[in-house]
Amino acid sequence: MSEFPGDLSRRRFLSGFAFTAGAIATGVGSWVIRPDWANAAEGPIKLGIATDLTGPIGYAGNADANTAKMVVKQLNDAGGLLGRPIELYIEDTASNESVAVGNVRKLIQRDKVDMVLGGITSSMRNAIKDPIVARGKTLYIYPQLYEGKECTPYLFCTGPTPAQQCDEFIPWLIKNGGKKFALPSANYVWPHVLNEYARKVIEASGGEVVFEEYYPLDQVDFSATVNRIVSNKVDVVFNTVIPPGVGPFFKQLYEAGFQKNGGRLACVYYDENTLNINQAAEIEGLASCLDYFKVLTKDDPVSAKIQAAYEKDYPGNFLFAAGSAATGTYRGLMLWAAAVKEAGKVDRESVAAALDHAKITEGPGGPAEMVPGKRHCKMKMYTAVAKSGNYEIVARSEGLVDPKEC
Amino acid sequence: MAETEVAGLAPATAQATTRWNVLPILEAVVLVLALALPLVLPDYLTVFATRVAILALFALSFDLVWGYAGIMSFGQALFFGAAGYGVALLGRDLNISNLLIVLPAGVLIGLAFALLLGGFLLLGRHPTSMIFVALGTLTGSYAADRLARGWYYLGGQNGIPSIPPMTLGAYEFEEGPVFYYFALALLVVIYLLCRFLVRSQFGLALAGLRENETRIAFFGYKTQHLKAIVFAIGGAIAGLAGSLYAFHEGFVWPNMVGVVISTQVVLYVLFGGSGTLIGAVIGTVIIEGVSFWLSDNYRDVWPIILGVLLLLVIMFRPLGLISFVLTERERVGRFGITPTNDGHEKVGHGAP
Amino acid sequence: MASSFVAVFEIASFAAIIVLVVLGLGIIASMMGIFNFAQGEFVLLGAYITYLASSHGIPVWIGMAAAPFLVGALGFVLEALIIRRFYAAPIVAMLGTYALSLIIREIVRGLIGGLYLSVPEPIGGSIDIGSVHVSAWRFVIIVVTIAVMIGCYLLLARTSFGLRVRATLENPALARASGISTARIYGATFAFGAALAGLAGALVVPVFSLFADLGIRFLIQGFVAVMVGGVGSFMGPVAGAAVIGTMSAALPWVMAPVIADVLVFVLAIAFIKFRPQGLLSGKGV
Repeated sequence: MSEFPGDLSRRRFLSGFAFTAGAIATGVGSWVIRPDWANAAEGPIKLGIATDLTGPIGYAGNADANTAKMVVKQLNDAGGLLGRPIELYIEDTASNESVAVGNVRKLIQRDKVDMVLGGITSSMRNAIKDPIVARGKTLYIYPQLYEGKECTPYLFCTGPTPAQQCDEFIPWLIKNGGKKFALPSANYVWPHVLNEYARKVIEASGGEVVFEEYYPLDQVDFSATVNRIVSNKVDVVFNTVIPPGVGPFFKQLYEAGFQKNGGRLACVYYDENTLNINQAAEIEGLASCLDYFKVLTKDDPVSAKIQAAYEKDYPGNFLFAAGSAATGTYRGLMLWAAAVKEAGKVDRESVAAALDHAKITEGPGGPAEMVPGKRHCKMKMYTAVAKSGNYEIVARSEGLVDPKEC
Repeated sequence: MAETEVAGLAPATAQATTRWNVLPILEAVVLVLALALPLVLPDYLTVFATRVAILALFALSFDLVWGYAGIMSFGQALFFGAAGYGVALLGRDLNISNLLIVLPAGVLIGLAFALLLGGFLLLGRHPTSMIFVALGTLTGSYAADRLARGWYYLGGQNGIPSIPPMTLGAYEFEEGPVFYYFALALLVVIYLLCRFLVRSQFGLALAGLRENETRIAFFGYKTQHLKAIVFAIGGAIAGLAGSLYAFHEGFVWPNMVGVVISTQVVLYVLFGGSGTLIGAVIGTVIIEGVSFWLSDNYRDVWPIILGVLLLLVIMFRPLGLISFVLTERERVGRFGITPTNDGHEKVGHGAP
Repeated sequence: MASSFVAVFEIASFAAIIVLVVLGLGIIASMMGIFNFAQGEFVLLGAYITYLASSHGIPVWIGMAAAPFLVGALGFVLEALIIRRFYAAPIVAMLGTYALSLIIREIVRGLIGGLYLSVPEPIGGSIDIGSVHVSAWRFVIIVVTIAVMIGCYLLLARTSFGLRVRATLENPALARASGISTARIYGATFAFGAALAGLAGALVVPVFSLFADLGIRFLIQGFVAVMVGGVGSFMGPVAGAAVIGTMSAALPWVMAPVIADVLVFVLAIAFIKFRPQGLLSGKGV
C-alpha cells in the first residue's frame, strides 16, 4: 500500500518491541519463535514473516508481527497443523527495500521457510516478491490494502482491492457529499492505479472528476491545491496523499473552510492509527472504507474476540487496525492454515492449489473467501465516518464483496 | 613527487630500498581473502559479499575522482543510479538482460552523465571553485532523486522492481558464488586499470594537480580538461557498478540516485583512506560489514557511532584508516623512479 | 483578486521560511567561508526542542522561545571544540560538518523513532479577510522573519558589536591587528547562525511536522540559495533565499509540482555557473 506513520514516541516504540520477549535473536534483524512442543519425526512447519519492524512503517509492521505471533500461538495451542507445530521466523524489512531484500533472502536461503507473509507498502512488496516467489520458489501472502493488478502466480493477496474500497463507497460519497470530486494524490503507484479505478466508478455513478494531481511524497505546502479545491467548489476530496503531506494538507484544507462550506473528506487508508495525525476538528466527517473498524466489536462477537485477544497480549500503541495490514495478516494466516489442512502437505504446489479456494468463517469484520483462480480475497467492507476523533459505521456491504482482480 | 635519492645520501638510500612496500602486500592480502570468501561462507552471506564488492567498485570511482584529482563529487550516486535505472528500463521495456549489452550500457550511461555534468560544472572560461563543484554535484544528485521520485515512467517512489536476472546466452546469473566471482573479477580488472592510470604519466599530472593547480596550469597542462577526463572515467566506473547492482538486487529505486548513497560512498573512501584505491575497498568492506553485524542490536546507535568515528577520522586522521599502515610517501607513489643501492637513479615504468 | 492575494500570501510565507533557514547558513558562509552541512540539523534540533516542550505539557511558545537559545549554545560549544579546526580548508569543513550532521540527525532519529510527529501551533486557525482565509500561523512566521531581519540589520549596522563583526568580515587580518578577537567573533557568529536555524526549526515544525530528515530538505535549498544570493554579505544570502523560496512556492501554481521541484535547482545551478559571484557580490552588510 503506502508509506505512512503513526504517533509514537520512542518509549512506546521500545515497549512494543518487547514482542521480542519469547523471541530468540538469531542474528541481524531476525528472530525465531520456537513452539512449545515438537514433532520429532517431521519437525516444525516454518513460517516466515517479513515486515517493517523499524522505520516509518514500523507502527504497522509491529502490529502485523504481533498478530502473527498471536495466530501462531493459537494454532500451536490447538495442536498445530498436520500434527506439527509452527515455528515462526521474523525478519525486519526496516521500511527500506535494500535491507529488506537482504533479510528476506535469509528467510528463504538460511531458514528455508515454507511460506512468507509480509510487505506493507507496494514498493516493499515489489522489492521482496522476486526473492520470495521467483528466485526463492516459495509461497507469498501479501496482507495489505493496495492498488490491485498483482497477478504473479504463488502470490496471494488478502487485503482490500480498489474494487472493494470504491464500488460501494463512491456512490455513498456522491449521496453524502456531492458530485464534484478532486483527486489529490501522492506520486507513486498506489494512487495512480487506484485513481484510474476510482475515476471509472465516479463517472459511472454520475459524478465528475474536477482535477487529479500528483505531488512529491514530502510536499507539505498545498496552498495551490487547496485554492483549486475551493475555487472549483469541489464537494468530495478523494485523498490519496500520504504522510508526511497528509497532515499539513488536511490542516490547510480545514483552515480554508472546506468543511465549513459543506465539503466531505474521503481517504481509504485512514484507520485508527492515522486518526492521531490531525486535530479532531480538522478531520471531522472524514469517510473511510475498510474491511474492519474497531467499533465493530460492539456488535460482532468474532471481531470482539480477536480484538480482545490482541489487546490482552499486546497492549500498547501498535493497534490492530485494517489500514495497517493487521486484519489482512490474520485473514491470510487463517486461510493458509485452512489450506495446509486441506492439502495435507506443506510443499508450495499443494498448498497453493488448496489456498486457491480456501475459506474461513471467522475473521475480523466477518468471514472471508479466496476467489478461485484469482488469488484475491472476498471480504465484508464497511464505510465509517470520523466523528470527534472516533469512527462511526455508516454503511456495511450486503455480503462478501468481490475483489475483481486478475 | 618523485623520490630522488642522491648518491651522497647512500646510507639513507640503502634503508629506503629495504623498507617494505605495504601497499602491494595489502592489496594481495585483500585479494586472497576475497577469493577465499565463498568457500567459507554460507550462500546468503556470499550474496551480501557480492553487494559489498559492487559497492567497493562504486567507492573506487569516487576515490579516483577525489583522491587523485581533488574533485569533491558529492553526487556520485547520480551516475550509479542513472545507470541502474537505464539498465532496469532495458530489462523492463525491451527485455534485454544479456550482460554483454547491459554492462557496457551502464558504463556508457555513467560516462554520458558524467561528461554532461562534469562539462557543465568543470569547464568554462574561468576555473570553477571546488565548493561550486561540490555543491553542484550534490544538487545534481538531489535533483535526480526528486525527478526519479516524481516521474511515473520510472516507477516514481516505488522504483522499478522485478528486473530479470542478468544472462549470458542461456545462463542466468543468480545471486550466489558465481555472481560473486564475476563481480570480484570486474572489481579486480577495474582496480588494475585504475592503478595503471594513476601510476602513469597521466597520474603524474594528476598528482601535480592535487598539489598545486595553478603551477601545473603554468606548465601548460589543461587542468580543466584533466579534471573533466577523470570525472568522466569516475562516472563510467560508477555506471558499471550501478548496472551490476541493479541486476544483483533485482530492483532500482530513487534512493539509488540520491544524496544518501552519494554521501555514503564519500564515507567509505574517507574512512578507508583516499588516494590509495585499496583504501576505498577496505573502507567499504569495513563499514558495510560492521553495519551488517551491528544493525541487529545497535540499529539506532550504529549510525551515530559511524558519524563519531568519521568525525574523529576527519579531525585527526584525515588520510583515513589506511594511514595507520601506509606512509604518505608510499600513498603518493613514485613515478617510475626507483632508488637503487649504488645511489644512481634507475628510471623504470610503472609503479613499485 | 482574492485568489491572487492568497497566492501572494502563500508564496510569501514559504519564502519567509526559506529566508529564516538560510539566514544562519549565509552568515556562517560569509563570515568564515565554510558551508555548514550541519545547519539543517540545527533546524531539526530547534524543531525537536519545540516538540519536546509540547509533548511534556509545556506551552509550545515557550519551547519555541527556548529553542534558539539552546541551539545557539550548542553551536557555540561545537564551534569551540570542532568547527574552528576547519576554517583553513573549506572542503574539509564540509566533510566535518557533514559528519556532525550525521551524528545529530541519527541521535534525533533514535529519539523519535523515525516517525512523523505533529506539533500544534501556538496561534492556530485562520484569519478571515473578507472571503479569504489565510493561516494565522504562517502570517506569524512572516512577521517574525521580517522582525528578525530588521533586528539583524540593526545589530550589524548600528551596534559596536556589529561594527566588530563587519570588520572581521571585511578584513580579518586587519581586524586582529586592531585588537578584535576574531576567534570570539567567529564563535559568536557560529552560535548566532545556529540560533537562527533553531528559531527557524521551531517556527516551522507546526507546518511541516517533526521527522528526522527535516534538515536535509532545507539544507540543499539553503546551499543553493546562498550561492545564488552571493557569499560574503548579509543581504546576499537573504536575497538568494527570497528568490529560491519564491520560485519553489510559485512554480507549482503554474506547472506540475514534480517539474517545478527539479526546475528550481537546474535554474539555480545554471545561474551560479554564469554568475559565480551571485546576485549581490561584495562584502559587508
